[in-house]
Amino acid sequence: MNNTIDISHYAAIADSIRAEAARILEQGVVTAVVAYTTGRRAGSVQPVIITAAAEAERLTFTAASVNNLAVYLTKAKKDIPRSGRIGIVVKGCDLKALVGLMGESQLQRDQLYLIGIPCAGVLASTVRPAEALIAATLAPKCRECDAHLPEGCDYVPAVSLPSAPTLEPSYAAEIARLEALTPAERWAYWKEQFAKCIKCYACRQVCPFCFCEQCLCDRNKPQMVDTTPRPAGNTAWHIVRAMHLAGRCAGCAECERVCPMDIPLNLLNRKMAKELKELFDYEAGFAVHEKGPLNSFMEKDDQSFIK
Amino acid sequence: MSRIGVFVCHCGENISRTVDVERVAAHAATLPGVACATEYKYMCSDPGQTLLKKAISEQRLTHVVVAACSPRMHERTFRKAVEGAGLNPYLCEMANIREHCSWVHEDREEATAKACDIVGMMVERTKKNRVLPAITVPVTKRSLVIGGGIAGIQAALDIADAGHEVVLVEREPSIGGHMAQLSETFPTLDCSQCIMTPKMVDVANHPKITLYTYSEIELVEGYIGNFQVTVRKRARSVNERTCTGCGVCMTKCPQKKIPNKFDQNIGMRTAIYVPFPQAVPNTPVIDRENCTKFKTGKCGVCQKVCGPGAVDFEQQDTLIVEAVGAIVVATGFDLYSISEKPKGSPIKGYGEFGHGKIPDVIDGMTFERLASASGPTGGKIVRPSDGREPKQIVFIQCIGSRAREKGISYCSKVCCMYTAKHTMLYHHKVHDGQAYVFFMDARTPGKSYDEFWRRSIEEEEAVYIRGMVSRLYQKGDKIVVMGSDIAVGVQVEIEADMVVLATAVQPQQGADLLAQKLGISYDKYNFYSEAHAKLRPVECATAGIFLAGACQGPKDIPETVSQASAAAAKVMTLFSKDRLEREPIVARVREAGCVGCFACKKVCAYGAVEEKEIRDRQGNLLRVVASVNPGVCAGCGTCQATCPSKCVELDGYTDEQIVAMIEAL
Repeated sequence: MNNTIDISHYAAIADSIRAEAARILEQGVVTAVVAYTTGRRAGSVQPVIITAAAEAERLTFTAASVNNLAVYLTKAKKDIPRSGRIGIVVKGCDLKALVGLMGESQLQRDQLYLIGIPCAGVLASTVRPAEALIAATLAPKCRECDAHLPEGCDYVPAVSLPSAPTLEPSYAAEIARLEALTPAERWAYWKEQFAKCIKCYACRQVCPFCFCEQCLCDRNKPQMVDTTPRPAGNTAWHIVRAMHLAGRCAGCAECERVCPMDIPLNLLNRKMAKELKELFDYEAGFAVHEKGPLNSFMEKDDQSFIK
Repeated sequence: MSRIGVFVCHCGENISRTVDVERVAAHAATLPGVACATEYKYMCSDPGQTLLKKAISEQRLTHVVVAACSPRMHERTFRKAVEGAGLNPYLCEMANIREHCSWVHEDREEATAKACDIVGMMVERTKKNRVLPAITVPVTKRSLVIGGGIAGIQAALDIADAGHEVVLVEREPSIGGHMAQLSETFPTLDCSQCIMTPKMVDVANHPKITLYTYSEIELVEGYIGNFQVTVRKRARSVNERTCTGCGVCMTKCPQKKIPNKFDQNIGMRTAIYVPFPQAVPNTPVIDRENCTKFKTGKCGVCQKVCGPGAVDFEQQDTLIVEAVGAIVVATGFDLYSISEKPKGSPIKGYGEFGHGKIPDVIDGMTFERLASASGPTGGKIVRPSDGREPKQIVFIQCIGSRAREKGISYCSKVCCMYTAKHTMLYHHKVHDGQAYVFFMDARTPGKSYDEFWRRSIEEEEAVYIRGMVSRLYQKGDKIVVMGSDIAVGVQVEIEADMVVLATAVQPQQGADLLAQKLGISYDKYNFYSEAHAKLRPVECATAGIFLAGACQGPKDIPETVSQASAAAAKVMTLFSKDRLEREPIVARVREAGCVGCFACKKVCAYGAVEEKEIRDRQGNLLRVVASVNPGVCAGCGTCQATCPSKCVELDGYTDEQIVAMIEAL
């Protein structure tokens, strides 16, 4: 089995990003570009926001460009002043988040300049950024990627996407394993996972859909969710988050990547997405929907639960 | 610190039978913030209310909890009493220990413990109630009436005569409805057209009535006192203003063999037509499905012969928005067609009766058209198959009605009387004929009704056979009716020339869809539901919408007219005030936390959530947040449940209050 993943086109992509970012800043198409730059650790990459064409040469794109940059455009994280049209580098998975944010009145398409990446995959968070990209080091979300080529972007580097090996989806396998358990066993599994939570809220901070400026979990009148890292409050927090993301999360898996306690958060989100797909034939992230499935009623919705 | 008064009601024995009310009151007295707790036999009675008012002033109460029945029953009563004692009415809440407790439990110990919990929760919630000022909204003193049958006509005339404008919308090309189709009416046998058509003309000539025929309701927005209704006026293809109603177009139309729905499809009409000569308005409609011009592009004879040039093939549907303050729904009924059951209907058909297959098996409305002087046969009762006069005629009652096994369990109410009428009309026209009626029971309550039925047997020679028919089949040119006579206990076989089925009264097709547009509730048969079966029979649970006629349930003409006038009276009551007071239980947005995702706006069924711009002093746009229009908000709380950051609060049901209730448990 061929385990290597062809990312030879990433160098050409990086060149194209630099040229395009410089051009759009130079010509005043945008006031800022959100992209990736080289980090301090060997092979690492970090997000950057540039506002001048001269800075464009700092930009890069490698297999370590894992971050979902959409989060920098949300209100809660307010990293970018709302001063005009903003350029942003997006992989297919990141674009889904932007599409969701547009549906929720958080962004307008005409305020964005999308630089789409023909993406073959990025590294898993568990390996060093300098590692070679092979099936074993590939981020789990990339194993089941259905959006290698982001659609509807303003600019896509003129490179062809090499053919990728077909890989077994790992989330689907894990969901199937959990579904086969008894409710008690499943509960025991999640109880153990949630017990690890230290309430650092990194998952919330990195999530593009946690855009509320005042999270309900930070309120104390009434106290909706216990703030201390105790089992009851932990479970409440993760269940609130899973419910809030149902029908919205498109699986960028950033929550899972940043979790210092290795809680399989994206697994929970994928399970919710699977339920939404089965119940409402709905998949988040492909089109701007004015109303999500949980905000609307349709005649054909399953009503068998009403006895 | 709050000083709450708790008032526990026995409700006669309804509550005290299962709940130890003394113990509930004693428990309530121990709760923090409760200043006094007492019980009484009937808290809603005058002495009960006096007790409550006295306690408010003597004990200087700040809040009141009445532990009694459902708030749907008496919340208004007690809030009014509290207001009378000088407190804001919304500082009074009800703890439902009847429907939620005593009625559903048997064990006295457990029920008492639960009642204590319910009261405890309500005390905690009430503590956090705010003073709410009443919301008033203006009333648009115009009314919409949907349906131009006798119910709609009566309601429209009554409201218009009171001096208010009325918009009357009718789906068919003419008003008149089913009553216009009838030959004569029970129990006086006066001609339906003779009493109906003058009222139709009154509608057309009334300066306060705007009539839209061949039109349907497209969209209903707004709320009591302030509805915006979009009416789709379907393209008539004839200009109503210029048409003089001369009828030349109809005489020249080459398409002459189109079954006329008004004549139950036994009479024929042209493609450009008025459904019946007395139609109001007397303006023809082109039936585009059957018109040669629309089908092939050739013809256009009607346009050529039309003197005033009123025929307009290019006419389009138009959408008209009408602002009204009240809506009367009078969409009437339809007869259950036993040969073709409506799609998706749970009702089973009557294949064994051969309706639709045997031409001389007809329904009651078809018999009306045969007997009507203005009908397709000019009032001669003849067989649809060969035009011969039937000498033996069989009427079968309760087809569809009262047949649980076939899907309808209700009684259609009018069939006993109209079948008796049919036997008389038949006897008057066919002197040597014999009428038989198969019936289960004769249901004839009503003024002069039973006398009428007795007359059909005693004077008009109808033979009533108590029993049902199992099968009908064609034998030569006769229809063999196989039934049983349970009074004698024998099987009966009659060779009939014609069979008339008294089919069930059903709501109009699409009644459910209209209800969804209006936001009113309906039962499993699609009959519209009144707010209270006994005490609010013409109001819908949705404020500002009223019911008249058979859309609410089977009704005869006198009943329909009474209900229509009652609905009109309700509309006039509503229009008697310039402003309307609404319950201030509405949602509020905490703008500081609102992130502007507008999930609340998307889920609001009432269109109450608006986008509000927040600007700085220089006028720069800072944020766009959600804002609730209190005049439109119905206080359902869906937005509150949806808001991801919990920035919408429903007064009286804030998150803080709900959590306080849970913590009291």
